[in-house]
Amino acid sequence: MATRKKRTPNAQNDSWVVVAADSVIDSQKKNSDPAFVKLRNPSTDAASLYMFGSGDDQLYEVKAFEEDFHSWFLGQTVQQDGKLLFVTPMDPLYLILPYLIKSGKEGKFQPVDQVFIDEEFPACSRLLNCTRSLASLHHVAEEKEVGSLKFHRYSRDRTLNWLKKKVERTVIALKKRNISVGEGVKSTTYVRVKPESDHHEEDYLRYAHGLISEYISEDLSKALLQHLQLPELTSPKDTEPPLKKRKLSDKPVEAGEDYTKFNSADFARKPPKKMSAAQKSLAKVDKTGMKPMSSFFSPKVKAEKN
Amino acid sequence: MSCNSNVIRVLPPVGQEQRVPVHLMPCEIEHNGSAQVSEYFTATMKDRKHEKTVSFRGRGLKGQELSCPQGYTGLVLKEVNKPGSDQEDRTVRISSVFNKLTYWNLETPPNSDDTIVMAMDWPELAEAIHGPVDD
Repeated sequence: MATRKKRTPNAQNDSWVVVAADSVIDSQKKNSDPAFVKLRNPSTDAASLYMFGSGDDQLYEVKAFEEDFHSWFLGQTVQQDGKLLFVTPMDPLYLILPYLIKSGKEGKFQPVDQVFIDEEFPACSRLLNCTRSLASLHHVAEEKEVGSLKFHRYSRDRTLNWLKKKVERTVIALKKRNISVGEGVKSTTYVRVKPESDHHEEDYLRYAHGLISEYISEDLSKALLQHLQLPELTSPKDTEPPLKKRKLSDKPVEAGEDYTKFNSADFARKPPKKMSAAQKSLAKVDKTGMKPMSSFFSPKVKAEKN
Repeated sequence: MSCNSNVIRVLPPVGQEQRVPVHLMPCEIEHNGSAQVSEYFTATMKDRKHEKTVSFRGRGLKGQELSCPQGYTGLVLKEVNKPGSDQEDRTVRISSVFNKLTYWNLETPPNSDDTIVMAMDWPELAEAIHGPVDD
């Protein structure tokens, strides 16, 4: 955001406003405390902020929601930073997948705990403690049992089927939301703008694909597009290098003093460039009351269309 | 913060959870710290026909109360004792909780297109993206 005024050094800011799943606080009543941790973001390959619930049994995603020129009144105090963090339950498989893919290049079945070694992000092995992790590995890997030992090998086919189901779930959620808000005057506008229901369906698919792509590598995102039988969109923009894709480098994104910075870029990040047509279709969907989603996830859509 | 300190622990509140009124202001206030919010801001709030109005620095603001999504709670986290060295973990503590907040617009009446209203939909969408899939 080029227009953002440079903030005065934010050294005194030592507090954060968070909307968190109740399970985060409930888990505190057990034995250990929840904790923010840095883990490798599967889409950017860089550091992002996540949270483990008590006992690591649940992984949470941390997203920063931020608008220019906002501040908080919290009781009898002022907080300059008007950011709002969301802490929502996350599927650990998205973060597990890159490690499986990497080890799967050797083509061997391996004990899964040998796969999670990452000097930059030592906390990654904690992903395996999540309740859902081991139980859902079969969605992305082939399993072999030898005696009491289990071995896994990454399966691209299984992964694509799993991701397809994710997309389908997301489409349903998007539609459900649309129905609840898209009635009345706005929906007549909508019908006038987009009469072809087939296209409509594809718009949903593409949009859901874009959302899921925030959690997978670019390579997998392209493969998923094919798996969904959606042609890759070729617009002049596609030839440009993806804006926010990080160049291959082993360095983590250095988190500043204000650690909540990590994910705000992530949150404000535009969907990949190849989404541009989907974004266009979204601009139409906007009129149904879905504007929330589009501006929510890609605040710069409008500027980009020009 | 060095990359050595990868963990930030979240501690429960000390004693009874404190509930505070929370307002999201449509301007940047270059201050962190105490202010007489209830005396000079909340005191001038008017609540009529589901529309809240208030005057702040001579500007008329229009506001709306917003509840946290179902199954979610608002928390204010405060850092306790910044560690002296990079090796120590950082710690934040839940200093207060809230179930609803009031957000204020400059001039425009609050409506469902306001970004903060949209943001409250994120947990529902996140559930679709992250919930378990059938076999």
